[in-house]
Amino acid sequence: MTFLHFSVYITTLVFIITVVARAIRIARMPVHLRWELYPVPHEKGRAHYGGSILEEVDWWTKPHHKDHIGEFIVMISEILLLKGVWEHNRRLWFGTFPLHFGLYLLMGNIALLILYGILHIFNIDVAQLLTLIRVITWVGCILGAVGSLIMLYKRFFDSDLKEFSTMSHYFNLIILGAIFISGIIWVVSDEQMVANLAKTYTGLITFSAIPKLQAAGWWHIGLSLFFIFYLPFTHMTHFFTKYFTYHSVRWEDESNLPGDPLQKKLDPQLKQIVTWAAPYVGADGKKNWVDIVTSPVPEIEEKK
Amino acid sequence: MPVATKTKKLTFKDFSNPSEQLAHIDPEDLYPLPPPYDKLEDQPGFKQLTEEARSKFEASLDDTMVLNIPKPESKEEEERLVKLFRSGLEKLFTRENNWTFLQPTTLSMEHCARCQSCIKDCPIYEASGYNELYRPTYRAEILRRLYFKYIKGGNSWWKKFNNGDIELNWTLISRLCELSYRCTLCRRCAQSCPIGVDNGQLTREIRKLFSAEMGITAKDLHEKGSVQQLKIGSSTGMNDIVVKDNCDFIDEDMEERTGIKIKTIWDKEGADVLLIHNAGEFLAWPDNPGAFALILQEMGISWTLSSDIAGYDGVNYGLFYDDVQLARVAMKHYEIAKKLKVKKILMGECGHLTKAMGVTGDRLTQAIPRENAMTFIENVVFSGKLSFDPERNYFPVTLHDPCNMVRSMGIVEPQRRVLRYIAPKFREMHPHGVRNYCCGGGSGWAIMSQNNFLDWRIQVSGRKKFEQILNAFSNVDPGPETPKYVCTPCSNCKGQIRDLFDYYGAKEKSGLYYAGLIELVVNAMTNVKENFIDFEMM
Repeated sequence: MTFLHFSVYITTLVFIITVVARAIRIARMPVHLRWELYPVPHEKGRAHYGGSILEEVDWWTKPHHKDHIGEFIVMISEILLLKGVWEHNRRLWFGTFPLHFGLYLLMGNIALLILYGILHIFNIDVAQLLTLIRVITWVGCILGAVGSLIMLYKRFFDSDLKEFSTMSHYFNLIILGAIFISGIIWVVSDEQMVANLAKTYTGLITFSAIPKLQAAGWWHIGLSLFFIFYLPFTHMTHFFTKYFTYHSVRWEDESNLPGDPLQKKLDPQLKQIVTWAAPYVGADGKKNWVDIVTSPVPEIEEKK
Repeated sequence: MPVATKTKKLTFKDFSNPSEQLAHIDPEDLYPLPPPYDKLEDQPGFKQLTEEARSKFEASLDDTMVLNIPKPESKEEEERLVKLFRSGLEKLFTRENNWTFLQPTTLSMEHCARCQSCIKDCPIYEASGYNELYRPTYRAEILRRLYFKYIKGGNSWWKKFNNGDIELNWTLISRLCELSYRCTLCRRCAQSCPIGVDNGQLTREIRKLFSAEMGITAKDLHEKGSVQQLKIGSSTGMNDIVVKDNCDFIDEDMEERTGIKIKTIWDKEGADVLLIHNAGEFLAWPDNPGAFALILQEMGISWTLSSDIAGYDGVNYGLFYDDVQLARVAMKHYEIAKKLKVKKILMGECGHLTKAMGVTGDRLTQAIPRENAMTFIENVVFSGKLSFDPERNYFPVTLHDPCNMVRSMGIVEPQRRVLRYIAPKFREMHPHGVRNYCCGGGSGWAIMSQNNFLDWRIQVSGRKKFEQILNAFSNVDPGPETPKYVCTPCSNCKGQIRDLFDYYGAKEKSGLYYAGLIELVVNAMTNVKENFIDFEMM
């Protein structure tokens, strides 16, 4: 096993463990009070204008039909096309869309390269797959490099972004830009780039030897590994936590009618001891939520 | 699209740096209004805070002040308050104290990309001439930096690298508290966040921290609001005897004006419907509860009001600043409905009442079902049981969408279907529905006028709404001879629109009037005397 083998396995492991741990931490947070925001795309027949089942007379007696396909379409256009940025921050979209789409293409490439490696184990050689990977590498790296440079420029010079940008914003963009640019240099300078990359993946999957790579190749792979390792510790985890901001908050509209199972999750939460210090709360270290909210507001002497 | 003047950039360092005043609004920077409200010299002007107020209270944020936070008397007192703030910040991220919003708060804290896609959607930021202090991300970012610095573990260099730095001191604390009352929690910015971050909710969390831990609240929302409501019965100060007296008067007045004898029903056990209004209606807009009583009676619905503490006042100001008070009031409403053994609660025409009672309080207990007024009115109008003559409403009508009812609950179309039927000259504002603009008095501001705050909420936060209203009627006679009706199905929004119209003299100059939806319905009923809506009396 080479250093590259070791690095790839460790990076993948760290990435998966960190992402899963973070997802579990968020998913296990207490059920919160309802705070949805319309339009909610699963509202069948009403999502296009932002309506909800609450528009129905005696809504609690009626089935809540959910349009999961509508929800999926909204999610896809949001993730792939960054529709929200297009609608609300058009100038930024011209930088952030190519950056994100370039990333998506390179991630797609990883999947294709793994597929190629697996097929190779079974002695199935699909030459067309390598052509597709080459095209995706070109398009993805060019888009990503352009996007990174535009975003870097904006972070430095756009007055709206500058004050809100921290060191990590610049660092992340420089790393991403370097990944894309090293990818371009590699594909330009090495005619066998895709074949070498495919062999590298095959080597990683089969624990066997990896071909000798050009310096640009090593830079590209090394920087990509660093980025994958580092990503789950940054705010860029929005690539998956967005699922929770949308599904667990913005579109979360589960009602709590008599007999609904939701109350079972809420009961233990209501039994928690409150320690807020303001006198009107009346917390004494023993009272739980129910005690507090069903007891009168404590008499408080007015400060002179 | 008017070009606004860019104001000086504010840094996060500035926020902790003691100075006399952090930001200032120049009336010339404000978003321009259409004629005849476009001349600065004709406007009532912006009152200044008094020297006395500035010397006694923390007033270093901007030109106004809501909270009247006393200046600490000593360095020790200041340190004690900083410590208290830090303990509140910690509690905000614990399950025990903040299970109610822990998940949304943490998600918004940890995943903002600082892309500023939300800023242009804030009517306050825009109306202020893009004053940096009111940028919706500014206060959220301060909280975020504090969260990463003091709550999240890890190496301090790493935290600074990822999330920047901020200096925590009393200057920051007092300003942050006041700044949390420069956002109406309308959540328009949250709709435009591609990641799902909710700056409005974060602003509410800041208010909660100050309230629940430090006891710093807006007097009108807390002492005069939810506390008074839970003790006397209503945030208006009315007890049950006064409210019953008022309703007797309303019944008599309604009979005189409609020709139909009405009797408000109190505390009827086993009624189908328990109607809960915002008690402000009984005092400021009695036609609204009167119209509800008439409709319920004419429809033959078994209904009742409650004279219990909080039973005749559906307001729930906890929605704007504190979960404990929110829960106390919501639980009262649910208990009363249970005690009266009604089949459902009908929530009056009030946005925040409808949201607090209808959805936000929903996870405190499994309460009796609640129905909103828009759906109820639509059902009445299209039931076939009443007869209408839409020509009685033959004047220009537009509709204001209360944020809490529309953006936060998805109640959009019922009120429109009613207006399209009974108001032939109905026209929309733009934008409308879930993309509406807040009235500018959201999150309880409509009842807040401390110091010179009225000037601020009219000239800054209400500016976009006023412009929208004027534009909605731009194709009709602009003068006062043609009355124009702004249908405003929310008590809080009505309070703000009343103040807007009074401030600018909009009734006299432009013939602008406002009232609810149900008044238009009664006005169109054929068995009611004509001119229930009497513009001369409004």
